Amino acid sequence: MYSDQHLRVSDAEREAVSGRLAEHFAAGRLDQAEFDDRVRRAMSAKTRGDLRGLVADLSETGAPGGPELPRGSGGTPGDGPRGQSGAGSPIKFRLDAASGVPTYLQLVHQVEHALRLGYLTLGDQLPKVRDVVASLAINPNTVLKAYKELETKGLTAGRPGQGTFIQATLSQVALPELAGLRKALLGWLTAADGAGLDEDGIVALFTSALRDFHERRSGSRTRGGVASGETEGVA
Amino acid sequence: MNIIETSGLGKRYGGTWALRECSLAIPAGYVAALVGPNGAGKTTLLNLAVGLAAPSAGIVTVLGGHPAGSPAALDGIAYVAQDAPVYKNLSVADMLHLTRNLNRRFDQTYAETRLEELAIPLKRKAGRLSGGQQAQLALTLALARRPRLLVLDEPVAMLDPVARHDFMAIVLTAMADDGVSIVLSSHVLAELERVADYLILLSQGQVQVAGEVDDLLACHRVLTGPAAEADRYTERPVVHVRRAERPDAPPSRAGPDDPVPPGWEAHPVGLEELALAYLREPGAAALPGPARPAETSEPSGVRK
Repeated sequence: MYSDQHLRVSDAEREAVSGRLAEHFAAGRLDQAEFDDRVRRAMSAKTRGDLRGLVADLSETGAPGGPELPRGSGGTPGDGPRGQSGAGSPIKFRLDAASGVPTYLQLVHQVEHALRLGYLTLGDQLPKVRDVVASLAINPNTVLKAYKELETKGLTAGRPGQGTFIQATLSQVALPELAGLRKALLGWLTAADGAGLDEDGIVALFTSALRDFHERRSGSRTRGGVASGETEGVA
Repeated sequence: MNIIETSGLGKRYGGTWALRECSLAIPAGYVAALVGPNGAGKTTLLNLAVGLAAPSAGIVTVLGGHPAGSPAALDGIAYVAQDAPVYKNLSVADMLHLTRNLNRRFDQTYAETRLEELAIPLKRKAGRLSGGQQAQLALTLALARRPRLLVLDEPVAMLDPVARHDFMAIVLTAMADDGVSIVLSSHVLAELERVADYLILLSQGQVQVAGEVDDLLACHRVLTGPAAEADRYTERPVVHVRRAERPDAPPSRAGPDDPVPPGWEAHPVGLEELALAYLREPGAAALPGPARPAETSEPSGVRK
């Protein structure tokens, strides 16, 4: 694979590899025995191939900390709200002007949606009012109204001078289970697609099946939503 | 506190009344939208409020009781007139210099920071900026005066959708940061939905509708029912009746929700739809709260 695999190495290259091994040792990726062993082998290495073998199982940069994995593991959906906004909050709002749903309710629904899917969890911060206003060009009073509504529902709490934070969660299922369910659903979707159903057909079938499911078990127990009067979120 | 309050306000140009018997109160802390057809008196009302014109009748006060045009009023109000006028032959830097020297309060740092964020070069002549940039320059000069009330006359009419969004984002951010109250006139009804939380509809020089948007939406419904019964619906004032081509399903608009006649459907109404219904029916009025002038307190809805 490497054309320079058999090239002889210099003392400078041996030193460089030893230096990297020392960094990995400092970061805790190697224990004392492994480190001593590898440095000894580095100092006696003859070819570049020998040297590469010593660091092949270590990350490229010696920098600490693994890659940041987004929350809601097991494959994030394409429209995941984890956004460009950065600054503090894991979610970013968007508006659908044609939906006919009042703006403040759209914001409330998006927070609830993110809570159900686990994008927001306890202690997470909602975007600052000013940032929402600046990015969506909406009335600050609208954002305040949405945040007040969320607070009334007991989902968030304002901390003076800091912002609004998630105080309760809506997701009824733990994240690993959610990932499994998502996987099963994706498999079902593939089957439905294979059978020739288009997107509208899939939604119609799912909605109708969900309705049957509710009817069958209604009477014995009611839906387990936190907030009363919650009926959206179908399909 | 009322940011603008008028009582029996009128303005006559020659023999024509541009604004007549206008009584309203716009509370502080809102984005108040002033809506109406051309010639309804929107610009006249704004000119009177900022002190650019003197009333022919009645009174107008601003910022909680200061007479319009008084020094206290002038210091606290910034006005961006229609088409965001700038001195086309002056450079941007000279516009800043001029505005700073003509006003008692001017936040030079704010103005420079904003212009830098917008990538508007200080050396460029104002007339050579794009339409969106000229509007942004006018807005920056207005906001650098740190007003308590920002008045905008048709601020986004000439702007493309992106420039419009950016412009409104700056306006609303100023509101979020400093609690500036906003009064704007607009033709762009669709934009109002996400921006305005107080609505004033002007028609033929008089106030037709005034109130908090949420309240207005809560007490109006679109009613749909059989055409034959459209004339019989008299429980509540009907704003505007629209008949569909097909005789069996005419949408009609009506007042407050509760009693829906059998066979009729009631739907919530959007702000744009509400404004359009009133604009099509100049005789109807909705004037809740303190703005209600005595002579039109009875809703004169169309009751066919």
